[in-house]
Amino acid sequence: MRRAWPALVFAAVLALFERLAAGRWPLLAVWMLAAFAASAIALRAIPWRRIADRLGPRPAVLYFILVRHFAAVLAGETGRTFRARSLCIARRYGPGWFRSLAWASAAVLRRGVIRAERLYAALAVRGFE
Amino acid sequence: MSLEVRELSFAYDGRRILDSISFCVAPGESVALLGANGAGKSTLLWCILGLLKASGTVRLFGAQPGRKTLARCGVVFQNPEDQLFMPCILDDVALGLLNRGVPRQTAREAALEALRQAGLEACAAEPAGRLSLGQRKRAAIALALAARPELLVLDEPTSELDGRSSRELAAALNRLRITKLIASHDLVFIGRTAARAIVLDSGSILADAPAATILRDQALLEKAGLV
Repeated sequence: MRRAWPALVFAAVLALFERLAAGRWPLLAVWMLAAFAASAIALRAIPWRRIADRLGPRPAVLYFILVRHFAAVLAGETGRTFRARSLCIARRYGPGWFRSLAWASAAVLRRGVIRAERLYAALAVRGFE
Repeated sequence: MSLEVRELSFAYDGRRILDSISFCVAPGESVALLGANGAGKSTLLWCILGLLKASGTVRLFGAQPGRKTLARCGVVFQNPEDQLFMPCILDDVALGLLNRGVPRQTAREAALEALRQAGLEACAAEPAGRLSLGQRKRAAIALALAARPELLVLDEPTSELDGRSSRELAAALNRLRITKLIASHDLVFIGRTAARAIVLDSGSILADAPAATILRDQALLEKAGLV
């Protein structure tokens, strides 16, 4: 449930914008939450690893493995960067709190791109294009 | 005690990473956490700092790890890029001081002084991405020392450094009269910097003795996968 907080906050902001801008009930937010819930359930319930092993190295399987691997890499980068930031920030909402949050987020994006390039290079040298 | 660890255990994905770790570190002591890759050194550091939730007891300066106790620690990550995310390294080094309420000018001066001591004064306005790996490591160490910590925690401090930089870092650490906890598998560096060593193997403590004694024990080092 703790991991769902960002999605819930995003859905709430989306619902607010939809209500303010279009003056209607928040359909987009409901769709987003439904898609999130379906993805989370599918991710946990389906034995992806076993299916991938059974299907062998087909393009769709490789794509799935790649996405899964890159998500783990990105999660690692994000965790380490924000862990380092939390060590610098002794006072929550103190000076530099928001600025460091913005720059840490930007750093994660930049490092995500760098890691993606490295991953692409690692695949390219093994003959995957 | 600067640090007390009692019966600390940590499991991830059903796998036991740390198993009933207990030790104490006295103020001013320089302690090495020795272990091969995957022995649990970094995980132990994160658990001590309260960044990973583990079972058991950790006391930093007599209190549970939290923002107040962490403010008294300087931490150097294995990968310095993790710590250097601001637009320039001067901002990175000054960030912790600014956040603690140090006036901007004073924080800048303290950060510049820390960078000067690390030999990086000329690169103060550069983003971390433009520095070499060794320079980044030194910047991360300057960042940790700028706030004058009482406990310095270093995770694989020599992993990006060449021989000379490693020697200079050891000399710099020896000049610091603060508590140090150094996780590494660099035996030469540990021989230069630590008075006591705790050897980890598969998440358990294999030995806890003076560093010189441990570094002489070939059988122990072999068992721990260090030679």
